[in-house]
Amino acid sequence: MDLIDRYVHEVGQHLPWNVRADVEAELRSLLTESVEERARAAGRPADAGLATEVLRAFGVPKDAASRYAPDPQYLIGPRLYPVYRTVLRIMVPAFAAVTLTLIIVGQFQRPGEPPSIAPFIRAANGFFSGLLFNLGLVTLIFALVERVMRRQPVAAGTWDPSTLPAVNDPDRISYFGRVVLLYLIAAVALLFNVYPQWVSVVVFHNTDVQVYALLGPGFGRYLPVLNAWWAAAFLLNLVVLRQGRWRRPTRWAEFALEVANAVILAVIVVGPPAFAYDVIVKVVLQVFAVISVIKAGMQLFRLLRRRPAGEPWHTGSPASPGR
Amino acid sequence: MVMGETQLSLKENLSLELRRGVLVLAVLTQLHDEAYGYSLKKRLAENGLDIDEGTLYPLLRRLEGQGLLDSAWRVEESRPRRYYRISAAGKRLEKDLAAEWTSLARVLHGLLG
Repeated sequence: MDLIDRYVHEVGQHLPWNVRADVEAELRSLLTESVEERARAAGRPADAGLATEVLRAFGVPKDAASRYAPDPQYLIGPRLYPVYRTVLRIMVPAFAAVTLTLIIVGQFQRPGEPPSIAPFIRAANGFFSGLLFNLGLVTLIFALVERVMRRQPVAAGTWDPSTLPAVNDPDRISYFGRVVLLYLIAAVALLFNVYPQWVSVVVFHNTDVQVYALLGPGFGRYLPVLNAWWAAAFLLNLVVLRQGRWRRPTRWAEFALEVANAVILAVIVVGPPAFAYDVIVKVVLQVFAVISVIKAGMQLFRLLRRRPAGEPWHTGSPASPGR
Repeated sequence: MVMGETQLSLKENLSLELRRGVLVLAVLTQLHDEAYGYSLKKRLAENGLDIDEGTLYPLLRRLEGQGLLDSAWRVEESRPRRYYRISAAGKRLEKDLAAEWTSLARVLHGLLG
């Protein structure tokens, strides 16, 4: 039964590893039995012709495997794919624009010299490696969001129409915006942890362009707390995406994160030197800290004044739905 | 001609959908005594319900995954076979589905005149 073995193996190739061996064993047993039964009924030996009939009836291996697969076998599903495509459509031209700028800057750096292809090659190399890295990161985030957003179906009868959000709902989220935010958080965290030398300032001096690393040796002490903040922000955005909207607990978490952000910035500002150009960087961080405090204040004001949409209407007064 | 083929394909698809709807109930009714995939297929065929193997075998695994069937491997006639039997949850669901089917069949008989 070489044909059955080949068929079973082929089906197994399209199955998740954790069920593969079990399905293969059962399928081999059933198909062999089916062929032998047909052979008995036809009064002829179980040959390749009968096996072909049985396998043809069972279907193309990939289709047969898809009937066994417990979950949809895709990385990014139809709900997120349009957003994914939009992000790529923005990302690729943006990278191309940056590359072009680098080529132009590269040419201006060499006044009086004939145009050279070297900056073009350097920029193209940077373009492709940067693009591949970011494509990978974006795809990874979308795949994660896809799995997080796989919600349990709501049982009929338990759904309450009064929980429907208002048409102009300030707590409705943009999937595009949330995913871009997740990407930015992941990209910044990777940058500071894996490629800290890329966190730099570009200084134009006459016709010369110099790149200086921005992070000093003292910056490392803040990395654990920053990592914790990025992880919390990433998690919050995943939760909001899963819920499909802002709710009161997630709004409070957003407020707490904003306060934490202001505190971390303040600690860095008053702390020992952590950057090259420490004074200038800390002035910028002070501005960010002030912005963060203002944002936290506005979030707190909204939380205390307004009931977020999505809370059941019947918990409030029918005369004043809370907004 | 094209229209005829389309109609035929539509009829096949709708028939398939109709049969698919009752497949779970049919399988549950036949697994009070344990059976392995091929013997269950024969059992159903003898009762007038011929199910494609490519549909039945994955369905058995799905129902087992949903806790409606129990299964165990056994070696018989020098061949390893996976035997299925309806579980307690499966019996409860079978009862509900049977009531639903009886009610639906009565209504449809009425509608069909």
